[in-house]
Amino acid sequence: MIVKEKGASKNSIEALRWLLFIVIALIINLPIIATILTSFKTTADINSSPPIFFFSPTLSNYIEVLFKGNTNLLKYILNSTIIAGGGSILAIFLSFPAAFAMVRHGIGSSWLLPLVTNIRALPLIIYAIPLYLMFQLVGLLDSWLGMILVTATISIPVALVLFVGFIQDIPIEMDEAGRLDGASQRVILWKLIFPMSRPIVIAVFLLSFITSWNEFLFGLILTTKNATPVTIGATFFVTTYGVKWGATAAAMTLSVLPPVILGLFAYPYIGKSMLSGAVKG
Amino acid sequence: MNKIKALINSLVAGLFATLTLLSISASANITVLAWPGGPAEEALRKVVDHYNKTSDSKAELLYFSRDNFFDKMLADVAAGSKDFDVMLTATYSLGKYAPFMTPINDMVNEEVLSTFSQGAIDTQTYQGTVYGLPTDLSLHFLYYREDLINELLSNSSWQATYAKISAEYLGKEMKPKAAEDWNWDDFIASALFFTRSINPDSPVPYGTVLQMKNLLFNIMIWQGTAASYGGDWRDADGNITIDSDAYRRGLKIYKDLFDAEATPADSLSYEYAEANAAFGSGKVAFYTQWSAAYADFIKPGEYPAIEGNFTITNQPAGDMGPKTHFHSLGLGINANSDKQDEARAFLSFLGTNEAMSMFLKEGGQPPVTDPIMNAHAGDRLDMLMMAEHTAKYGKVMNGGTEGGAFAIYANMAENFTAYWAGDMDVDTAIVNVTKFLEAEFAK
Amino acid sequence: MSLNPQTERQQAKKFLYGLCIFLAFMLGFPSLANLWFSFNDVTFHNLTGEGFAGFENYRKALGNPKLWEALGYSLRFGLVATIFEVGIALFMVFTLHPLLLRKPWLTAVLMLPIMVSPALMGIMYRLILNEFTGIIPGYLNLLGFHVTLMSRSMIQYTVIAIEVLQWTPFAFIILLTARQSLPYELEEAAAIDGAMGLKYSLRIVLPLISPAIYIVTFIRFIDSFRVFDHIFVLTGGGPGSRTTSISIYIYKLFFQRSELGESVALSFVLLVVSLTLLYFGLKLVVRKEQS
Repeated sequence: MIVKEKGASKNSIEALRWLLFIVIALIINLPIIATILTSFKTTADINSSPPIFFFSPTLSNYIEVLFKGNTNLLKYILNSTIIAGGGSILAIFLSFPAAFAMVRHGIGSSWLLPLVTNIRALPLIIYAIPLYLMFQLVGLLDSWLGMILVTATISIPVALVLFVGFIQDIPIEMDEAGRLDGASQRVILWKLIFPMSRPIVIAVFLLSFITSWNEFLFGLILTTKNATPVTIGATFFVTTYGVKWGATAAAMTLSVLPPVILGLFAYPYIGKSMLSGAVKG
Repeated sequence: MNKIKALINSLVAGLFATLTLLSISASANITVLAWPGGPAEEALRKVVDHYNKTSDSKAELLYFSRDNFFDKMLADVAAGSKDFDVMLTATYSLGKYAPFMTPINDMVNEEVLSTFSQGAIDTQTYQGTVYGLPTDLSLHFLYYREDLINELLSNSSWQATYAKISAEYLGKEMKPKAAEDWNWDDFIASALFFTRSINPDSPVPYGTVLQMKNLLFNIMIWQGTAASYGGDWRDADGNITIDSDAYRRGLKIYKDLFDAEATPADSLSYEYAEANAAFGSGKVAFYTQWSAAYADFIKPGEYPAIEGNFTITNQPAGDMGPKTHFHSLGLGINANSDKQDEARAFLSFLGTNEAMSMFLKEGGQPPVTDPIMNAHAGDRLDMLMMAEHTAKYGKVMNGGTEGGAFAIYANMAENFTAYWAGDMDVDTAIVNVTKFLEAEFAK
Repeated sequence: MSLNPQTERQQAKKFLYGLCIFLAFMLGFPSLANLWFSFNDVTFHNLTGEGFAGFENYRKALGNPKLWEALGYSLRFGLVATIFEVGIALFMVFTLHPLLLRKPWLTAVLMLPIMVSPALMGIMYRLILNEFTGIIPGYLNLLGFHVTLMSRSMIQYTVIAIEVLQWTPFAFIILLTARQSLPYELEEAAAIDGAMGLKYSLRIVLPLISPAIYIVTFIRFIDSFRVFDHIFVLTGGGPGSRTTSISIYIYKLFFQRSELGESVALSFVLLVVSLTLLYFGLKLVVRKEQS
């Protein structure tokens, strides 16, 4: 709630706020807006200098990128979906039980939790090279499974911290109720606590999915063609099409659509969960 | 409710079908890793589509990003990757990838020799072994705006300004010449003339656009300058000759143009795509560029600003006349592949007159024999000039096909672009490059 | 009847197994592998090493002046980007907070940039910064400014600006949440005292959300330090090595110069150094928070 501001200048302050918001929103979203607009321009329009601001839109770029010949954009999108989804789910199922054990019994909270949170801070390239060599030895290069393992690893730190923060807030009485019925810890975990944690699990899934979808470095190094995620696939279009910014823009618009749409649902969680997780962790 | 269930069922079935289709690749299909970008890529797609119609084993195209293409290809073949069966070859990288490729000397039969000249096959040969069939001959041209140059040659007030500018920057009053007769001084003078910040009456903002991104391919373009003054990597005795007048002069051309702002300030990030955008949008009077760009520029309706107003010719001349770097890109066989027979079948197809004629017509630049050239080149200037220019002006650096060539170009790119950007002085750059070459050739 | 707490503890221990095994495989193994590879002479032609190389790889890695250049670059990049991000985010929080309280969905619009892959963001900028066909130079030209944002003098600012423009929203949302969780009574009390606007923000709100500020600064610095994606696609680390961050440096060492041993040794050194710094850094942040 806001305390009403006094004074006749209230309306002008309000207007200023709106103006500031619009200006900032435009500036930071400029590349996205420009790319989407470009994706609807014809090649001739794109090649004109200075850039034209009013143009008649065309769907030709999208048709070219989605349906023409060997452009594998759909496959890249499929790859990204499987890799991001699989990685997030794996991270959740590895982290949730661990978080429970850490909160309720203090197991691993002194060494595992700090270790895992520290991982988030390391330059990923440190792991990229030995993982490349390791994957090559066991044949996991350019595979869905390999990439899922990687995205799960990246998602675990955030998942763990958020789960710990959330479970801490669940009153111990909930567990007691289960215990009275003679339930084992496992039953309490999955039949009681997990269903109760639906909001945080959804939040973790959304955040992990977005982060995994946008992963670039490991996708670059560890895949060639079969498991290539769309973040890498979209860069092929830049160079593949040379000056064909239109097709590139269309490819990029399609590539950022899923995380952006999910983000519109996820944004409330980012702030709250990051903050509480960090403060408590 | 039932209708919805039925809809969902059919959607799921459809999804399954699609997924299945996407994931099933018939075991005998092959993957072809080719060079991305430009008309050559489109032409190859058409040829591959045609092949797939008539062959049991389908070929699928794969591309890496241009920027780290060769790095990734090396890492993958070294790791024993089977992700591609047919892979890219290039004259300057044959030595590096030879250990991982299948020799195809036995495939060079009469048919192949009627498609490609022996000289072209030689550009895909390393130490006597043929590793690929040459699908693209790449060299460099001077692309220029005919309307602007013609105007310059006939407009006396322009010529007066031209003389003034050349006197101020080059120390002597010069007269404009036809583009094919240019030497590097003419190139510089004209670039200055057509730069608005130097000549406010210039019809275009920039005289030229140089590709100065830290990328090894940009060094290949630039090499024409040093080579035209007699520069080379090594002399006949194997001594490294980077520290030479020729190299210094060549480097200075780019540096002077950049400092004088006759090329966009962003040139330090430019490579193929950006340079084409600059020329194609009508903002640049002329530039040196890969031959592949020509087929793109002549597409009707795509570059309205320059349509019908540009043409190509040889690069400017140095003391030794005009010189151009050239190499061929080709396709060879990954030794790791399990589908050697299918890969060979595909290459055989590529080596036929039919395939290469189609490739040529669709925009590629194959180094084909005269009969094919005459029949299909049409008015493709780049093709008609290709053989002649390669023969007259083509220069392969001494050592330019060795295993370390790649790393050498990359090292030159890093040091020379640092010099052009003002981060390094020319002597340090030359010393660094010389040391690197010495180490490479000593291996 | 409830179970023995000891038994329960035993049961709960098992919950950690999955995570520990997984991390041991994905992170522990590579760290050890790094260690092993770094002491051997590995090449692409012989990935298991051609012989023991002792400390040779470390010597080469640390003795390379380009490494220190890249480290310095990453440090400067991280510092500058973080300062701007947190500063702008604070400004945004103070000015936009009332508006966003009334219309929370507006926040979503401000969050969009962080949903986009940094690599793709880099390519988008490559498109709009193009001097001839890009809209930024286009607009600026109309206003009379002739800018070249990827020139040698501007490129360093440009890559930092891209980072700031994409990640300020991240700092913003965390600080906004902190701001919004301040108790309502505070606002009332301040209004009564007539301490509105700037004074209120600076004197009262700022100290109260300072733990969040420290945390955000810490997180953003770490993330900016490791920058790779957008610089890689925009400049490739160039011109020369002007925008080569430590991650790009290691990548090039491995993939372009095929210096496997050296890059692996370097990775291991970075691992150890980062962990140490993190350990002390975290202690500092925690202590500040508690004070």
